[in-house]
Amino acid sequence: MITFENVGMRYGMGAEILQDVSFALEKGSFHFLVGPSGAGKTTLLKLLYLAHRPSRGLVNFFGRDLATLGRDDLPRLRRRIGVVFQDFRLFDHLTAFENVALPLRIKGATKKQVQDHVEELLVWVGLEDRLNAKPATLSGGEKQRVAIARAVINKPDLLVADEPTGNVDPEMSERLMHLFVELNKLGTTTIVATHDETLVSAIGAPVLSLAKGKLGQRTTMADSPAINTGETV
Amino acid sequence: MWGRTLQFLPKSKDREGLLPWVIGVMLFLCALAIASAVAIGSGIDRWSQGLASNITVQIVVSDPEERTRQTDAALRLLRATPGVADATVLASADVMALVSPWLGDLPIDANLPIPSLIDVQLDGVTPVNAQALNERLRIASPGARLDDHQAWLGQILELAAVIQIVLYAVVGMVVLSTIAIVIFGCRAGLATHAEPIAIMHLMGAEDAMICRAFDLRYLSHGVKGGLVGIVFALTTLWLVSRMAATVGEGLVSAFTPNADFSAWLLLLPVVAALLTMVTARLTVRSALRDLM
Repeated sequence: MITFENVGMRYGMGAEILQDVSFALEKGSFHFLVGPSGAGKTTLLKLLYLAHRPSRGLVNFFGRDLATLGRDDLPRLRRRIGVVFQDFRLFDHLTAFENVALPLRIKGATKKQVQDHVEELLVWVGLEDRLNAKPATLSGGEKQRVAIARAVINKPDLLVADEPTGNVDPEMSERLMHLFVELNKLGTTTIVATHDETLVSAIGAPVLSLAKGKLGQRTTMADSPAINTGETV
Repeated sequence: MWGRTLQFLPKSKDREGLLPWVIGVMLFLCALAIASAVAIGSGIDRWSQGLASNITVQIVVSDPEERTRQTDAALRLLRATPGVADATVLASADVMALVSPWLGDLPIDANLPIPSLIDVQLDGVTPVNAQALNERLRIASPGARLDDHQAWLGQILELAAVIQIVLYAVVGMVVLSTIAIVIFGCRAGLATHAEPIAIMHLMGAEDAMICRAFDLRYLSHGVKGGLVGIVFALTTLWLVSRMAATVGEGLVSAFTPNADFSAWLLLLPVVAALLTMVTARLTVRSALRDLM
């Protein structure tokens, strides 16, 4: 479904942040992405949510080679990807409802569809009484739930989450991860970058481990990191 | 042109808050320059039409009896000339009034060799060849000098044309300056809203959708600025017209814009709003192309 083959990434003329990264995410799979700070996790996630093109290597999204896609093809592809940012990146001047509604409105949903789906989703993430609250009045956990709702409102084929539990307490972390697992059960391919080893152990999903821009694979956090390029998950 | 519009930009007034006022000032200057250029054109037309239907003949002879004889001869010739509606000799009192600014108030019987002046009205139907008429006058009345006002009228028209070109150049420069200001404002807006734009892109928004959000914002700036500018411009022109009216018919009143023209000026805010919007759209579209 999504494959990276010998992907390298550098910004400008700088050193390669990612080197010969290869993996495949099967439809409906759940993966964690772990690694120390500066390992290249955020860069890899940016490639996954199409914020950048790789400097080299082959990337295939949903059967389409990224190298052959023009700029005008990207919006349609991006609508199949939901992103949860570490810093939420909500629109401060919009309410929780309006923030979550944005992807639907971009897609061209009717007013009724927006009303029904957004309300339903905000109820699902436990924010039914915060529909009209602006982000400034929400707690960290509430903001993250709004961000998650916005990421999944379009029922994406791929959900990318960057440190989704980084700004919340352990109890909220567990609740948020439960949301991701539930989404994954509905068929959404999910990849979650995290530093929280307890969380990774608790879920028990396959782990992609990045170190110094190179990708290894572990099945659990207990395994030692295998810095190994070119492995396919 | 509009398609689906999604207003995702915050209603921030930072950086862009002054833009409507700047557009207003530019439109004010533009309106005054256009009004001046058009008014000069219409004033010169009215003025030259008046002078083209009138010529003056001077009989410059020092001997009073000979002057009277030559004046009579010139009158007869002029009245018999096709295209001349009427020819009358100006009364001595009127001639003395004309020269009084230079000579002071002199008695009519001061025995000064003041030339006779014949005011000739043309019928405006049959053209009069001024050069041929002058030659025939010289034969009938050797002291006659024909003045069809063309020499200095030509200079005035030339001056007016230069002033008009300068004023239209001012209009052009104001328009270009407005475009440049909108481009700078728009780039500042893009920098301010870089984060929302990036998120919209990542959520799958197309460039056209993002452009439309800026279209609406800059159309609004253009409309506000245009209305402010045209209100000030029309008020200024109205005040100038009022002042000119108190001066009376003449040079100044000939150069004041009329009501019809002022109505045309009301189109300027529409033009300003569209110009602002199109400039913003092209600027945003160009900037978005640099993003992935």
